[in-house]
Amino acid sequence: MSESSNLHRWRAIKNQIALVLSGAAALFGLFWLTWILWTTLSRGIGAINWALFTQMTPPPNEEGGLLNAFAGSAVMCLMAIAIGAPIGVAAGTYLAEYANFRKIGHTIRFVNDILLSAPSIVLGLFVYTLVVATTGQFSAIAGSIALALIVLPVVVRTTDDMLRLVPSQMREAALSLGVPQWKVTVQILYRGALGGIVTGVLLALARISGETAPLLFTAFSSQYWSLDLTQPMSNVPVVVFQYAASPYESWQQLAWAGAFMLTMFVLVLGICARLILLRNRIANE
Amino acid sequence: MSDLRLAVNAAAPATGEALTNKLVARKLGFRYGDTQALRDVSIDIPERRVTALIGPSGCGKSTLLRVFNRIYAIYPKQVADGEVLLDGENILGPKYPLSRLRSKIGMVFQKPVPFPMSIYENVAYAIRHHEKLTRTQMDERVEEALQQAALWTEVKDKLKRSALGLSGGQQQRLCIARAIALHPEVLLLDEPTSALDPIATGKIEQLVADLKARYTIVIVTHNMQQAARCSDFTAFMYLGELIEHGITEKMFTNPGKQQTEDYITGRFG
Amino acid sequence: MTEHLLKKYDDDLQRLTGEILRMGDLAATQMAAAIEVLEQRDSAAARLVIAEDRAIDSLEHDVGHDVVRLLALRQPMARDLREILASLRIASDIERIGDYAANAAKRSIALNESPAIAPVPGLAALARVAGEMLREVLIAYRDRDAERALAVRARDAELDAMYTSLFRELLTYMAEDPRSISSSIHVLFIAKNLERVGDHATNIAENIWFIVHGEQPGEEREKRDFTTRPNALAVTQTEKPSRGPAGSASMPPMAQMMPV
Repeated sequence: MSESSNLHRWRAIKNQIALVLSGAAALFGLFWLTWILWTTLSRGIGAINWALFTQMTPPPNEEGGLLNAFAGSAVMCLMAIAIGAPIGVAAGTYLAEYANFRKIGHTIRFVNDILLSAPSIVLGLFVYTLVVATTGQFSAIAGSIALALIVLPVVVRTTDDMLRLVPSQMREAALSLGVPQWKVTVQILYRGALGGIVTGVLLALARISGETAPLLFTAFSSQYWSLDLTQPMSNVPVVVFQYAASPYESWQQLAWAGAFMLTMFVLVLGICARLILLRNRIANE
Repeated sequence: MSDLRLAVNAAAPATGEALTNKLVARKLGFRYGDTQALRDVSIDIPERRVTALIGPSGCGKSTLLRVFNRIYAIYPKQVADGEVLLDGENILGPKYPLSRLRSKIGMVFQKPVPFPMSIYENVAYAIRHHEKLTRTQMDERVEEALQQAALWTEVKDKLKRSALGLSGGQQQRLCIARAIALHPEVLLLDEPTSALDPIATGKIEQLVADLKARYTIVIVTHNMQQAARCSDFTAFMYLGELIEHGITEKMFTNPGKQQTEDYITGRFG
Repeated sequence: MTEHLLKKYDDDLQRLTGEILRMGDLAATQMAAAIEVLEQRDSAAARLVIAEDRAIDSLEHDVGHDVVRLLALRQPMARDLREILASLRIASDIERIGDYAANAAKRSIALNESPAIAPVPGLAALARVAGEMLREVLIAYRDRDAERALAVRARDAELDAMYTSLFRELLTYMAEDPRSISSSIHVLFIAKNLERVGDHATNIAENIWFIVHGEQPGEEREKRDFTTRPNALAVTQTEKPSRGPAGSASMPPMAQMMPV
């Protein structure tokens, strides 16, 4: 009796120790995260003003905004999504619906996962040699392609996962009605997986909107308003990178404002994605 | 199996009609990968009767059902050999078109899986693929199917609402409506009530009794009482083989084989 | 037979069998005791036999309760179902046998109140065969031995024949000495009870066959008790009942026995 109660006490102590250690680890991580967020917010929020959204990036020590950078980022991100998402959805569909049980499916999935975790600077360099070096010109197109390469594996992965999450009985039920597979995929399975796929695209958008490294080698940046896709194009991450490293007070202020806006954008996208997923889960249950 | 037919006709002369066999399996085998799931199964499924397939998990009863409408064909490495004759035609033959087969043999699964669309669309969806109907004709078809599935009165005021909002039992009846909307000849039910509560189960069982007048029904069930309650014939399978097939009443009061006896009395499983 | 996956189910079924066997044992003892008190003309002992019938009734009640419980809780199938159904019927047969024993004891008290009649030798033999049939059928039940049960059923013809001859014997007594009619009728009823015990033993035997084989035993059994047929006493050789060849062949010429 006393032996077993000793055993129980010892277990309770071990449990307490583990609890304290893992709690401390979580706090440690959260501490830095809050600090980063706090710094971005406190420094950035003060730099927010109307001019930020109406004026171009200024020369040093002059008043200005980030309008051309925001526009450039929007253009390149949307183009990247426009290129990467359809290909990604199609590839994800192939993986989940046609190659699911085959060896080629496993292989592609594995390669895709590597691409998913590939350092973005490598992708930038790749597009640099492929596009920039051959055309001899930094361009928004090159930037979009680099970003699309980041979008692609994310969308492939989420589409694949989400389609495979659709119960196989749904597939069988639809096929058992004599409907051909492509119709079943497009008309039924996409409906079931839509929330997840959209979430994947949003997450990909959040990911590329903050990417700096691939753009440095491809779209580079520009001081001016430009929507010419064959020319270098201004964008928020690279501007933040350049201004933050500059010795000028006004540029540093703009860098904080840009960082703040990026953070907020990613935050809002993240929340949207969460909400869509949540709604989906409720609908599925 | 002509013994069976003789016995049946002798046992139920009151119906006055001789039984014809709708589906006939001959020396049917089934493999996926290296696993032999069915071995030399020969069975007659009589028309407009309910045949229950029982047996412990992994005995091949669901596999047999899935061979009947070749739903297994969507997975690689699954191979059937032997013959399955639907009205005398071999449906396993490469020439038999899948789309026609599946419009003749409907299937309802263990878990109710309504499509993520409205109640109306769930029923109309497959009809659209097979037939061109006018709006009124389609409305009639949908109503007819929902009536037959004993769901009409419950959903007639919310046909445009998402089918996902229905209860489990209603969803399963919707799946049955979806299958019978195509006017199939055979209805395959794969453990249709295993995810439902007793009330919903009772409704499905009553539905099976009603549908028997029009369709040939094959039901796979883990629940022996269910097989006893709603089938005319019962087939007991074990380790991929058909052990015994006979009139349900006989199977549950005085089965011919010791293995059947042991299984239905709860002595092994 | 292998055990159920659910051990409690086996326990329940065994308990049911135990209750039936105990009932049967009691009934057999009661019957033997009833015949003994009859021979001994012991009214006090006869009252004990009558009182003891309650034990059988209460066991039958237990069996009924257990059967309902098993049907409701275990949803028996196939052999288990037959087993449970048969136990209900067997219990009711045994209960009737108990009643006959008590009835015989009651009649023995009445007999004790009038002067002793000449001993009826056929009665003891009838009691012996009926008792043996009961013991045998209980063994057959214990062992679920359908063949043995069928043998018991075959003996019923013997018992019926013995009863018919006893019936004739008593008719003769009554015809010879009308003062013995009241006592003779008591004895006749006791004999009839013993003959009925044979019928119940036969029922039990058929139920054992049903448990084992799932159907009633095939051939029609011989019936040699013709005393209860309509016009039994006027039956002639030409009126062959359609039952079985054995039955009609050994038809006793009853009409000749009748004092007209």
